[in-house]
Amino acid sequence: MAATITPYRSGQQAGHDGFAQVLRAEWTKFRTMRGWVVTMLAAAVATALAPIALAGTAKSNDPMTCVHGRCQVEGSYVATGPDGEAVTDSFYFVHQPLAGNGSLTVAISSLHGAGAALHLPTKFPPPSRTQPWAKAGILIKASTRPGSPYAAIMATGGHGVRMQYDFTHDIAGPAGPASAASARWLRLTRSGSTLTGQESADGRHWATVGTVQVAGLPATVQAGLFVASPDYDADTQSFGGGDQGITVPTQAMAVFDHVSRQGNWPAGIWTGAQVGAGGQFLAQKVSGHCGTPPCGAVKKTQPPDRFARSGGTFTMAGSGDIAPFVPIVDPLQVTFLGTLFGAIAVIALGAVFITGEYRRGMIRTTLAASPRRGRVLAAKAIVIGSVTFAAGLAGAAVAFPFSVRKLHALGWTPPVWHAWSLTSQVGVRMVIGTAALLAVTALLALAAGTILRRSAGAITAAVGVVVVPLVLSVILPTAPAEWLLRYTPAAAFSLQTSTLRYSQVTTGCIPYHGCYPLAPWTGFAVMCAWAVLALAVAAVLLRRRDA
Amino acid sequence: MRHALHAEWTKLRTAPGTVWLLAASIVLTAGASALAAAIVKCPGSCTADTTKVSLTGIMLGQATVATLAVLVMSGEYSTGMIRVTLAAMPRRPALLAAKAAVLSGVVLAVGAIAVGASLLAGRLLEPGNGFTARHGFAALSLAHGPTLRAAAGSVLYLALIALLSLGAATALRDSAAAITVVLGLLYIFPVLGDVVLNPAWQHRIARWAPMNAGLAIQATRNLGTLPIGPWAGLGVLAAWTAVALLAGGLLLRLRDA
Repeated sequence: MAATITPYRSGQQAGHDGFAQVLRAEWTKFRTMRGWVVTMLAAAVATALAPIALAGTAKSNDPMTCVHGRCQVEGSYVATGPDGEAVTDSFYFVHQPLAGNGSLTVAISSLHGAGAALHLPTKFPPPSRTQPWAKAGILIKASTRPGSPYAAIMATGGHGVRMQYDFTHDIAGPAGPASAASARWLRLTRSGSTLTGQESADGRHWATVGTVQVAGLPATVQAGLFVASPDYDADTQSFGGGDQGITVPTQAMAVFDHVSRQGNWPAGIWTGAQVGAGGQFLAQKVSGHCGTPPCGAVKKTQPPDRFARSGGTFTMAGSGDIAPFVPIVDPLQVTFLGTLFGAIAVIALGAVFITGEYRRGMIRTTLAASPRRGRVLAAKAIVIGSVTFAAGLAGAAVAFPFSVRKLHALGWTPPVWHAWSLTSQVGVRMVIGTAALLAVTALLALAAGTILRRSAGAITAAVGVVVVPLVLSVILPTAPAEWLLRYTPAAAFSLQTSTLRYSQVTTGCIPYHGCYPLAPWTGFAVMCAWAVLALAVAAVLLRRRDA
Repeated sequence: MRHALHAEWTKLRTAPGTVWLLAASIVLTAGASALAAAIVKCPGSCTADTTKVSLTGIMLGQATVATLAVLVMSGEYSTGMIRVTLAAMPRRPALLAAKAAVLSGVVLAVGAIAVGASLLAGRLLEPGNGFTARHGFAALSLAHGPTLRAAAGSVLYLALIALLSLGAATALRDSAAAITVVLGLLYIFPVLGDVVLNPAWQHRIARWAPMNAGLAIQATRNLGTLPIGPWAGLGVLAAWTAVALLAGGLLLRLRDA
């Protein structure tokens, strides 16, 4: 008869091994390593101080020069728009005063490039004869003072019919060019502060493009026809650093038919005048091999803007643009490159957070205590990511206002360079963006550490994909430099740009000037994609290999 | 000393990472150089220095050389091997000298292969990209004095980077700390150097940052407009290296292992 033997059971209660416990364990590991905590604090301090120090060196020769109230920045005349932003406001205007409400209707039968043809060095892309953003249409403007409020409906060289107002706003209408075969009928109606832009293909069936509110229009406004053609801007960088930029004034010619008015218009004749600094004053500028443009100028002028009238047909030539001004130099972006010092420290911490365990054999204890390895990696990612985010956020939140203040004191002033506050759209994006990009950089390093298991190799790999592309992007020619900033984790540094860009303004954009090919959060998404991929590979390898 | 050299050579030869890191240095240097030679074209960059273009890879290859050099010293600290080494060889400056000698020998040999391959890639690829006699470019050749100087200087540059890293690792002992300091020193300043808004600071960084100054040795055109001359630039890097090695040597001597 066999006796039943009761197997031994421990009287101890089973420990919890949920994710919360793994997370707590990883947090304890980080918290109790004095060297790591000190390094993280150092990273936060570096993120705060390096940008401030860089801002202190940003002395440039006259970022903005103003003579008799007319200000020039980077070789272009700049006015201040209704919202305090820098604007380009120069065009040819055939106008009359309009008292009270009324409307103006025209048919544009031609819009094309005019004036001297552009002959550029072969390194620049050949410009089209008609600038895509050449504009001709109807304009209602508070006054002929550059920067005053306005609304306009227009045909463009390559972007169809647009309704634009107060410089930064752009509403798309139907596409297609204006030609003799298919004239573009446009109508702009004022009713108080409400302006309505309409367009038609035949002058009978009208479609509304946009109805907008324009603040600051007086009872009597200047209304009429305008033509503008923006400067052709091109920038390239060549091997070895250094940039070459070119800015050439262009001119467009437009034909307006069937001009008809409704409302309280004077009987007098139309007057044509240049608003702002016109094409005839602007020289073609060639800059190159010097840090900040413009440097060196080649004089080349366009024939003067003008208009001719025969019956109800106006033929007008104009140059310039009515658009926001986008500067080339972004001093705040340069300043925030100081966060690279913090980034390097964060890479070291991210890598060591796991390679340190391999070095001491601690990883075996960790995996014995928590055999589900994916969870360990996830817990580590959460801990190092959050701690880095917090450190980066604190550092950047200190760096931002002090850098802004310092740059302001050194002459980087509004309207071109805004003294952004911490809570402004740019302030929030730059500060949170810097913290986020540091956190994801730490995750990349953690993944590299898990894959390579050795600190030196992991740190070198992470620096190689995050920092080295930035080094190469200022040395290589334009195309490969842009490629690097589009497809490597360095794309995320676009979060640190402070220049606002507009779809209706074409500007030279090269990495050498801190201009990234991707929009800020898109660039960040590229870095996140790298991190996700690297962590996935790390998780698979961590599970497969013996520790 | 001969025994010390032999011991260090054996350690370096038999460490598992060495071969991989050296191979990576050659592949990265030659690969990135070839890529640069393939994408830099005339027109577009007709003012480019073709020798410098075909040596672009040094900027990447130096990272793995630095990694290897750091591990030569910090590897001993992470495994505790350093105590055995110092017991066998109590003269600590001699130990550092032996490590430096073996490391530079290996890096010079590997650097020569990498630079040779890079120049060969440039010689083969650049004429196809418009860098021809018609635009005033001769095919790369070591018979050309400045090109020979740039090539030999690039090999020396790699050796100096290795010694700088060895010095940093000796002073800091920890591989993570040492590689972080070295890579930060090498790579952050070039990013800032080209874009800081103050020309005076641009000039300063170009003259005194180790990578910016050291790579001046690769220039073969417009030498008069360089912020720092080729040999003077390499001299600046050599000064950084000397400081790192001195600090490392001093700390090695003063501290317990």
